[in-house]
Amino acid sequence: MDVNRLFNYHSGRAYRARLGRQLQPWIIVLKVSTVATLLVGVGLLFAGFAAGWAIFGLAAIPAMISEWYDRGLKHVVHPDVRQTVDDMLETQLLAQLPEQPNPKDIARAISSSKSGAFFAVRFGIGGGFIEQIVSDNRDDSVVIFERAVQLAKDFDSLICSGVLIVAILEQLPNRDTLLGHLQLSEDDLLRGIHWFHRLEEIIKHQESLPKSPGGIGRDWTFGWIPYLSKFGTNVSGTPPVINGVRDEIIDSMMASLHSGRGALNLVGPTGVGKTEIVTELASRLMNPSEDVPQGLHYRQVFMLDASRLLSAASEKGSLESLVQTILSEAYLAKNIIICLDNAQLFFENGVGSLDISSVLMPILEAGRLPMILTMDEQAYLRISRQLPSLASGVQRLSVPATDEFGTFKVLEEKIPVLEYRFKVIYMYQALKEAYRLSARYVYDIAMPGQSISLLESAAEYADNGIVTAGSVQLAVERATGIRTTTVGTDSERDTLLNLEALIHERMIGQDRAVAVVSDALRRARAGVRNQQRPVGTFLFLGPTGVGKTELAKSLAAVYYGGEDSIIRLDMNEFVTEDDVTRLIADGTEDPNSLTARVMKQPFSVILLDEIEKAHSSVLSTLLQLLDEGILRDGRNREISFRDTIIIATSNAGSDRIQEYIHRGYQLEQFEEKFVDELVDSRLFHPEFLNRFDEIVVFRPLIKAELLMVVDIILKSINKILDDQKISVSVTAEARQYLVDAGYDPRLGARPMRRVVQRAVESTVAKQLLAGNLKPGESFELNLDQVKSVIDTKQRADQLMADRLS
Amino acid sequence: MFLVGLMQWWYGRGWAEEASRIGRRIKGAADFFSIGQLFKTLFSPFRQISAGRVGGSLSIQFRAFIDRLISRIVGAFVRSGTILVGLVVLFGHLLAGAVALAIWLILPILPVAGFILMAIDWIPRWM
Repeated sequence: MDVNRLFNYHSGRAYRARLGRQLQPWIIVLKVSTVATLLVGVGLLFAGFAAGWAIFGLAAIPAMISEWYDRGLKHVVHPDVRQTVDDMLETQLLAQLPEQPNPKDIARAISSSKSGAFFAVRFGIGGGFIEQIVSDNRDDSVVIFERAVQLAKDFDSLICSGVLIVAILEQLPNRDTLLGHLQLSEDDLLRGIHWFHRLEEIIKHQESLPKSPGGIGRDWTFGWIPYLSKFGTNVSGTPPVINGVRDEIIDSMMASLHSGRGALNLVGPTGVGKTEIVTELASRLMNPSEDVPQGLHYRQVFMLDASRLLSAASEKGSLESLVQTILSEAYLAKNIIICLDNAQLFFENGVGSLDISSVLMPILEAGRLPMILTMDEQAYLRISRQLPSLASGVQRLSVPATDEFGTFKVLEEKIPVLEYRFKVIYMYQALKEAYRLSARYVYDIAMPGQSISLLESAAEYADNGIVTAGSVQLAVERATGIRTTTVGTDSERDTLLNLEALIHERMIGQDRAVAVVSDALRRARAGVRNQQRPVGTFLFLGPTGVGKTELAKSLAAVYYGGEDSIIRLDMNEFVTEDDVTRLIADGTEDPNSLTARVMKQPFSVILLDEIEKAHSSVLSTLLQLLDEGILRDGRNREISFRDTIIIATSNAGSDRIQEYIHRGYQLEQFEEKFVDELVDSRLFHPEFLNRFDEIVVFRPLIKAELLMVVDIILKSINKILDDQKISVSVTAEARQYLVDAGYDPRLGARPMRRVVQRAVESTVAKQLLAGNLKPGESFELNLDQVKSVIDTKQRADQLMADRLS
Repeated sequence: MFLVGLMQWWYGRGWAEEASRIGRRIKGAADFFSIGQLFKTLFSPFRQISAGRVGGSLSIQFRAFIDRLISRIVGAFVRSGTILVGLVVLFGHLLAGAVALAIWLILPILPVAGFILMAIDWIPRWM
């Protein structure tokens, strides 16, 4: 295959591009020599030497060359009809390519171009990296060029580095692995090409804007606005936005303002960009294109600042009078559009707000002064209820949250502003991650504000000035405690691989339960779980004191960073229909509601103890939680439970379990049958039971396991005594005795801790007081010592019971 | 090749670009002075001072008329001054543009001309 079929090295454009590259280092020299020659020539002429003419004339040569470079060679124009690669390539890329370029040559050209730098920084795919992974086979260049031409035609653009990168990657056999490693898809790269072209377009557009739109006499026909200038902010000077995301709303606003209908009310959740829409409108009016109605040209939008107004006039009467003066000024000026951003501040009394609706409503209703209000849905409903004329007299325009495509368009345009403010560079992967994570973890704010606020927080975690997906994850992790990354450190990997052993350090037996919970967590952290559900949902069934709650606590302690990470609800407190409200109450009303606690601590174990006691409405509410990992709170916000493990426990059927065990059955032999019996008993609805990932039956502990429980309790007692440097052990007979005394068939191993603690701590206390035990010594309890403590207690209990009876 | 390329550009696209650049500069100056707009609003009240209808007795209306008249006279005076300055600046731009375009055309022959002038040893008297 002949690469020159697509790439004409000898074309005029290719020649000029190479010439420009060769001249580039000499341009300053040429410019300096132009000035120097001119000065020398003129100097000689003044000194009376005719040779000055020749030198003066020679100055034209470097001047012409540097002019040619600046205007004709630095960016060589593209022909109107573009067929071949050299017609379409960016000048910088074209200048680098040899006569028979192979993929490595193309990669080298990418690394030295401006668009190549953009992709290296934003996507982590630089020319240097590509050079290492591509072949040096010229035939491959033909495939790359063919695809690049196709892509450029699809995009209706030039061949920039992004186009070449996509074309190169597409012909690599291991491209999926490579892109996966970079957390990118091919669509992301195509979006990157759009992004690059759009940023260039924005820069060009900015440069083309007049410095004083409308001219020097623009405002002479309009009135003075001293008060408005003092208490308001003119937003008409902001750089225009050209992402097109809000075009429809802005067109409606312009149509409405032009028709003289008076006031508009932008209603939408916080973060959707209501203020941005107003500034975008202002900027369009100040730099009017053909689609802006003549009557709106050069109108200025002023945002009234509630805090400035309140600081100048804190009494209602004086504030009303001040606002009236400002609005009269705006009306008489004839070129002003007033914006009341967060308009609820002017319609309600509160901290930082004062109700001046008695002044505003007549003006709004009369509609002679163009005004724009912005407020969120709740405020709109609240104020409309008090002032029905606001709803009827002011045109409402709803501003919805942006979808993924719209959010990315906004972000791509917003990024340079954030980068300037925080002095960082954002990678595209950071944008993607911010969209994904903010949709899940950032509450009370809608898109695109959700993503923007997360990107702002992520700037703090920039790595060498670059905000990566990892920086965004870190920002979420620091704010919420959630682990958003897949397994990162070696210690975490070890913890996950040895989860069962670590849990068994705290609890004995129940191997199957420990295994299913551990598996669920490993799946989650390896990134192979369903992200739209909780990490795991389990129903633990079994008698009291067999370790159901202990397993939840152990999991919280071992993996979720401590027992504090457990959110425990005793479901016997949710036995009426009205208790549903307590479950989903907004945090301001009840900070201990389930939704409020998960909002604060989304990375946690949720323990729903004694679930069988909850009211059926409560269980129905929990269905969505178990199924989709979300629950809507009292304010109708979606609260994510997708990073929690949900464990429900129940004693239901524990007599039946005991019965099976007494009859000599092993757990594995009756577990399935037992669950079927539970379904048949209608204690739980089948649709509720079906929502759990696993229903795990806990069997009563056997004696050998109880002995191990004693050891664990002893270990925890020794930890307490560690401060006094005392170590305690118990003889084998004494341990056996403790098991017999501490085990209750009705309460399982629950009384065990009390019995062991009493026996050991009482004995140690006595020994310490008697001076038989000193710090630094070890002490072994024998059967007699244990017996004396426990029997004394038992006798005392018996005596008390007899007296009471 | 180099010289041909340079000359081709200089008398082709280069000259056209220079002309359009001068055109943009003149348009920028015209936009800045907004002469058309100033003409349209020549007798409008300046900064809306004393503008608008006034009700009341004949004497009040007469006083408002006088105020409005003064405002319009001030406006016309300021605008006329600006139009005048704008026209001068525009003319200056036009002249400078025409000179620049002419220089552009003769620039390539300047080295040759310089050598000829040196050869004939001509020096202006005022130097």
